Amino acid sequence: MFLARVEGNLTATRKHPSLEGWRLIICQPINQAGEPEGVPQVAIDPHGAGMHERVIISSDGMAARKAVGDEKSPARWMITAIVDETEAP
Amino acid sequence: MRLGTVIGRVTLSRTVPSLIGARWLIISPFTRGHFQQGSDAPRGLSKDPSLVVYDDLGGGVGQTIGFVEGREAACPFDQPTPVDAINGALVDHVFYNPFNK
Repeated sequence: MFLARVEGNLTATRKHPSLEGWRLIICQPINQAGEPEGVPQVAIDPHGAGMHERVIISSDGMAARKAVGDEKSPARWMITAIVDETEAP
Repeated sequence: MRLGTVIGRVTLSRTVPSLIGARWLIISPFTRGHFQQGSDAPRGLSKDPSLVVYDDLGGGVGQTIGFVEGREAACPFDQPTPVDAINGALVDHVFYNPFNK
C-alpha cells in the first residue's frame, strides 16, 4: 500500500470489460513530506476521491477483482482509503 | 495500471500453446515528466526500460495505453499463461493537474 495524491483521471472507451463504469484515477505516490516519489499509477476508485486529495492505494489484485466483481479482471491498483491526516515523528 | 506509449509491435513464430495468436506491443512507459508535458507535446522515449505487453484491445503505434503489470496480467486467461504485462485500456484522454505545494 502506498500513500498517494490524486493528480488526475483518464478516459478510455476501449478497455477491459471489467473496468466499465469505474473511475480511473492517476495517483502519484508521495513521501511523508508530501513530495512525489516514483511513477504515477492509475487506480480504480470506489470511494470518489477528489482532486489533490491524499489517498491510500493498494496493489492487492485479489481485492480489486472482488471490488469489480470479475474473477478475470486485470485490475490491480485500487484506492482503498481517503486520508484525513497523517502523523509522523 | 501504468500509462505508456506504443512504440512498436512484436510477432512471434514459436510460442507456448496458450499464447498462439497473441498480439504484442512494445511500450515506453510514462514517467512523471511525461504526465507533466501534457498531451500536446510529442512523447519522447522514456528513461525507464521499454516492455512488451500482451494486447487484446488492438492498440496501435503512437497510441497511449494503460497496461497492468504483475500476476494480475494473467488473470483474464482461462488457462495458465506466462504473461506479466497486459494492455488494460486504450486511453482517449488524460486529465492531469499536478499538485504544487
